Formats: sequence, C-alpha cells, structure tokens
Amino acid sequence: MLSQTVVNRLKEIVGEKNVVTDKVGLLTYGYDGTLLSGEALGVVSPHTTEEVVEIVKLMNEHNIKLVPRGAGTNESGGTIPTQDSVVISFTKMTKIHEIDTENFVAVVEPGVINFDLQVELEKRNCYFPPDPSSYKASTIGGNVGECSGGPKCFKYGVTRDYILGLEVVLPNGKVIQTGGRNFQSEPAYDLTRIIVGAEGTLGLVTKVFVRIIPLPRAKKTMLAIYDKVEDASQTVADIVAAGIIPTTLELMDNLLINTTEDFSHAGLPRDAGAVLIIEVDGYPEDMDPQVKTISEICNKIAKEFKIAQSAAEVDQIWTSRRCAFGSVARVRPSYGVNDITVPRSNFPKAIQGVLKVAKEYGVTIGVVAHAGDGNLHPLVLFDQRNKEEVETVHAAEKALCMMALDLDGTVSGEHGIGLVKKKYLDSEFTPAAMGAFRKIKRSFDPSNRFNPGKVFEL
Amino acid sequence: MGVLTEVYEMLNTCNKCGGCHTACKTYKLTGQETMVARGRIQLIKAVADGKLEPNQEYEDAIMSCLLCGECAVACANGVRGNELVMAARRDLKLRKGIKPFAKSFALKTLASPKRLGMGFSLFGGMGKSVLNKIDGMDYFRGIDIRNFPTAKKPFLEQVPERITVQHPKHKVGFYVGCFLNYSLDQTAHSVVKVLTKNDCDVIIPKDQVCCGLPQYAYGDFETAKKNARKTIDTFLDKYKDAEVVLSACASCASMLKHDYLKLFADEPSYLPKVELFCEKVVEFSEYMAKIGVDQSQLHNSSPVRVTYHDPCHMIRGLKVTKQPRQLLQMIPRVEYKEMFEAGRCCGAAGLIQAFYHEVSTNITDQKVENIKDTNADLVATSCPACMLRLQGGINKAGQKQKVMHVADLMANAYKD
Repeated sequence: MLSQTVVNRLKEIVGEKNVVTDKVGLLTYGYDGTLLSGEALGVVSPHTTEEVVEIVKLMNEHNIKLVPRGAGTNESGGTIPTQDSVVISFTKMTKIHEIDTENFVAVVEPGVINFDLQVELEKRNCYFPPDPSSYKASTIGGNVGECSGGPKCFKYGVTRDYILGLEVVLPNGKVIQTGGRNFQSEPAYDLTRIIVGAEGTLGLVTKVFVRIIPLPRAKKTMLAIYDKVEDASQTVADIVAAGIIPTTLELMDNLLINTTEDFSHAGLPRDAGAVLIIEVDGYPEDMDPQVKTISEICNKIAKEFKIAQSAAEVDQIWTSRRCAFGSVARVRPSYGVNDITVPRSNFPKAIQGVLKVAKEYGVTIGVVAHAGDGNLHPLVLFDQRNKEEVETVHAAEKALCMMALDLDGTVSGEHGIGLVKKKYLDSEFTPAAMGAFRKIKRSFDPSNRFNPGKVFEL
Repeated sequence: MGVLTEVYEMLNTCNKCGGCHTACKTYKLTGQETMVARGRIQLIKAVADGKLEPNQEYEDAIMSCLLCGECAVACANGVRGNELVMAARRDLKLRKGIKPFAKSFALKTLASPKRLGMGFSLFGGMGKSVLNKIDGMDYFRGIDIRNFPTAKKPFLEQVPERITVQHPKHKVGFYVGCFLNYSLDQTAHSVVKVLTKNDCDVIIPKDQVCCGLPQYAYGDFETAKKNARKTIDTFLDKYKDAEVVLSACASCASMLKHDYLKLFADEPSYLPKVELFCEKVVEFSEYMAKIGVDQSQLHNSSPVRVTYHDPCHMIRGLKVTKQPRQLLQMIPRVEYKEMFEAGRCCGAAGLIQAFYHEVSTNITDQKVENIKDTNADLVATSCPACMLRLQGGINKAGQKQKVMHVADLMANAYKD
C-alpha cells in the first residue's frame, strides 16, 4: 500500500481526481488484452511532462516502481502491474500539439488515440501509416512502446519507421529529447530507435514527433478466396516474386472466416479454406497494371477473386479483418494471441507448421496473418477456467515459437515481449546479445524502476 | 449471486481487447477504465467471482453507464455490456436495495401516477416560482429546470378516451407515457393530430401507467413488472379493439416491445400474452411510414433546415432509423442535414443526468456542437427525454435551435 504521504503528494501533483487507490479503481488497471492480471499500488494520470517528472522524482525518493500504460490493449502483458508498482496512465495527455503538413510532421502527446490522430490528419489529406487492429482504442504512446505494426506495414513499415523523435523522461527524472522533428537521421546515437519498442523499460515518452505522409491518391482493394490455406500462402509468395509490394496482404483461415462472419455478416463464403485481402495504393494510373498482375496470379489457384467496386465494398471486406481477434470468443471464451514472424519466403512453411502444431497438441488454432511481412497471428482457443487445457495451450504456444525460430523467424513481430513471451527470448538471442540488452537497461535505469520484469529479467 | 451466474458466460467472453473504448462516451470523456464496458465487466466479474464486495465505487461504475448500447454494437465478441450492467444493477438491488435518491424520489414517484401528477404540478407551480427567485438556479446538474415544461393538466385528462374520424382505416391504441402526459402534452396532441389526419381512430386508455423502464433500469424488476402487467392487461383486455399499441417515446416503445419479454421470461404462463402485446407495439414514425402518409396534405410556407437525433432506444433498441428521416423529408421546404454522430447518446440517459451530471453535461455539450455544425433551425427527435435534454443543452450554450418531436413537425404541416 502507498503511504498517505505519497498519496497526498501525488494528489498535489496531478489533482485529487487523477489518483486512484481504491480497490475498484485498481482492479480496472490490473489487466490488458492478455489473460494476465496484477494489482498496482496506485494509478496516477499526469497531464504534462512536468507532472511526469514530479511523479518520477517522488517515486525515486520512495523507491517505488512505475508501470506506464496507454489504453491497455496490448497483447503481451506489457502494462500488467508487477512488483509493487504504481501505474502511470497517459490517457489524460491527449493533446495534438501540431500538425505540420509542409514538413510532414505531427507532434502529439502519448495519450492521443491512433484513430483520433488519423481523423485529424485525414482532414489535411495526410495519415500515419502504422494501424494496429486496436487503432481505434490504442494510444500513440502505446504504439511507440510496443513498436506496433498493422495491415499496412508490408509496404510502409512499422511504428519505428515513423517516429522522428521523442521527448522522454528518464528514470532519473531528467528530460531529454531524442531525434529531431525535421530530419530523419540521428547525428549521435539513435536513442529514438532504442526507446521505440522498449516497452517503457528505458524511459517515459511524453511527446512524440511522428512522420506523416500524404494519403495515397488511389487505392484498390481485392479479395481472393481459396479452398486451402496453403494455396493462399502460395499466392503471397507469387505476388512478392512478381515484384509487387501491396500495401496489405492479410490472410484469414476458415475458422476466422466463420467467426468474423458471425459478427460482421460481410458475406465471406463459410466453406472457404482461407481468404486474402489484398490492397494496393499509389497514383491512379499505377492501379490497373498492378491489379491485372495480381488477378492473374490469384486466378491461377484461387477459387474466387473479387475487386471491390465501391467504398462500401471496401468497408465490408475490412470489417471482417478488423473484428478478427475478438470474434473468436464465439467459439471458445479465451484465446492466446501469438505473434510469430518468419521471412516471407518461409511463410508457406510457417502455415504448415501452425497446422502441424494444432494437430500434434490437439488444440484449435485460427490463423490471421499479415502475410506480406510473414507475420502470423495464430490464435489458440481455449477456456481459461480449464487448467489442464491451459497447460496444453502453453505447450502449443511454445511449439509455435520454436517453429518460427527454426524458420529464421522471431517470436514477436509487433506485439512486444512484455511478460508473455520473455521466456522465449533466450532461444532467439545469444547470451551475448541478452547481455547487451541488460547493459542498456542498466545504463538507463540502474535501479530497475521503469516497467520492471518486462521483456527480460535484469 | 443468481443474477450474475445467469450472465457469467457472457462476462467470461469479454477478452479485454478494449474495442469498446471508442464506443463508450463515458470513457471518452473521463479516460477512466472504471467508466467503460471492459472495466465495468471486469468489476462485475470480480463481484460474481466473490473477489470484490460491492461498494460505493463499484456502484458508481455500474450506475454511471448510459445504457446506450454502443459497446454492444462495437464488440466483436458479441458481449452486450449494457445487458451485463443491467444484470449488475439487478444484483445490487437484490443485495441492498437501490440508492436512496433513486428509490424515494424518482422511481417510486414514476411508478405511481398520483404522485407523479402531484410532483409535476407542484414543480410547475410553486417550484418554478421559487426557482425564479434564486439567482443562478437555472440549471440543476446540467438540467435546464427553469425551462422544464410542465403540462397545466395531464394530457390524459385533456382528451376523451376515444377519438374517432369520419372514415377510419385503422384503430390505434395510444400509449402516452409519463413525459408526454405530464410535461410535453403538446407533443401528445401532435401525435393524435397526425394519426387522425391519416384516418386513424385513436384509443387513449385513461388508466395507463408508467411503462416501468426507470424501475427496470435500476434493477427494481418487481415494480417494473407490476406496471408492465397493468399496461399489457389494459391494452389487451379492456381495449382489445386497438390494432396496435403506439408510443411516441422511443424509450417507452423499446421497453414495451423488447424488455417486457425479458422481464417476464421467468413467467411461462403469462409469457404468451406478453408476446402478443409486444407484437402490437409500434413506434410513431415506424407506424406512420408503414401506413403511408399522404404527402399532398402537408404544407409548409417557409424553408427550414432540420437535423435529426437518433435516441439510443430508437437506433439500438428498436433499430428504427430510416422512417423518421423519411417523414421529415416529406414535409415541403424542409432541407434535411445529417449531423455528425447523430446516433450517439445525448447525455440524458434516464437518471444519469441527475446522478452523474458532470459526465452527462459534457456529453450533451458535444451533441450541441454537432447540432451547431449543421446550421439547422430545428432538431427533430423521437424521445421526449432527448427533447428536453437537447433543448436544455442548446439553451445553455446560447444557441437558438428549437427541438421538436417528429410528430410536432408533421402536425404543424397540416392545415387545421
């Protein structure tokens, strides 16, 4: 429990209403998108960088740890309060300071919701490409922490590729600015890239300089339907081999087709083995040749191939994909999201691997994948109340991770490591590399006060 | 525990993905996890699991829900947050009764026609004259009380039980509801006028009571059932010649049409009668669009720009959205302009406006901004609670728009 002195001081810093210490309040900041939970000593919601600095200093005086949190939608346990810590919630830091369309920069506070930023950018004919499926709820600060990806990442890259600089409050309470708003190189060490994806273990981000780009002039959305998931993965390899980089290459297997249909009624055929959502963008005159090549490739093996003819049809196609994660709850109440990624040339092998794991362990796995970057989200379905089943699921998830590593892949493409995947990190990195990570963490945060126990044990 | 056991599977189906964040107005405004479906559901689950003893903070989380139903629309898992909150309220009621304020003032009064009538007449007379003497007492918890309309005499006392037309084609039972009876009696007259102009005989039972929604929403199923039974028996036994039971209040209509079924789910012997009744219930715009309105009778000399607000019970309860817009656009010289987020809650949300006024006032202010952006002269809607809330918000913001029921706009377009 926090001492009354600390609570009072926190209230002085951020205001009475922005400090939570009651059981009900704490309970609601103890979870995220995973099955894990914890209980914080308190939750504090600052409004400014200065308040963040004051909080950090106060916590240092009392040797209390801090867990940063955005919307709490992550899939890796990154925001679960562990080790007697206070949650610092950034949902009150929601200012968009500036949108500069001449220099393609936006300056935002970490609590700005990805979707809210997109709405403002669209009014100015621009956008911010990283678009995780949670983009309607998740914050830019959270996206930075996890280095989120999204369907557009095949062509445009992940969050890291759109962060020009950061304002960061360090564990010692000092504020630094990394990178710069008007250039894309870092004259000295690239601290921006170290902090992006560090899951709040190195510093608390209080301002983000994001790179924005103009909205594409034209876009074509296509849907290919397959009898077998293997056929879909072959198309992915063929499209890339033909030298086309679609914005998006999203795959959903039969299970996901059915669960998303239950929610969205988008009209996907329930007996299909898999669907691919393919999107290309660019100048209007670039569209037809790309669509032609893609349709030739798809028609070779796909059962059906459609080009969306209206905005409504595009929406319909995307509704299915956006609701994919949640919709599996209609089959079983709990799911484990995996985030394995393999080189795209190995994508068909990874799909085979997933099917094999499902069979070997006797578990139900639905697959949704950002197929273009070889990033798979096998969703392992179960009921968390069944302890035995939970054990089997953990074993199957481990097998999926090992399979990805065997295919020269990684255990996490975009969701981060958090608590969920840290046990696999030693298999992916050499002891020397793990040692280097620990040295970096210690040099930023020698007392291990920021998001302790996440990514790896110090 | 029984109530929460019944909904436990749905509680367990929430995967905490946060998809409801963007749908929830109370979360958008507060940024607090206790104020969003995901948080509320996890709290209800903790209570169901015996890990949390309901306390004041829990009650606040449960009672501050608008019940607007947007989270249910947004949830890919099919979790209906509003229904889970309803279950939690019922559970709270069974555990310890309802909040004293809700219990004594609002709910009991609404449940009894006598008390309600007296309350409104006291407020309209003495209450208002007292208020006028207090400086700055224009708004009580964001409610524009000084301009809160009260009928001089309840509508039910102003009209005969049966109003007949020369060549009747339809026979409509009119369920008036508390707001139209005691406060917006002019709107009730508008409904009758539009119906009679369209060859409907109107039956207005004198002994109708509150539909029971306010009590139901706060978990007092017993009182709600009493009123529901009275309503059903009145319309089905005493006035069985009424072809439909029409309501011009989206909230009442949604309660009569859908929630009565849930309310009596545990009474199989009475349920068939409830089903028969629910079949007959129809909302005003839905009915007018169905029987068809003779457009040639509608007149309007001055151009007017109109926007429409979808009440929660209309868009997500009854799922009626096209008909009111169609009717409005049938009126000559009406320029219809859709507002941003027309289907989002206006902040009235039953008693929320009184209990959690800070949140609800902010929600109303946003709605008023959206109305302002349309440059509309008139705001039409289908629920008296929304009408009063919106007009209050508009007046408070110093805006000029007038809020009217769809029936009012139509009635004004008929030459007498």
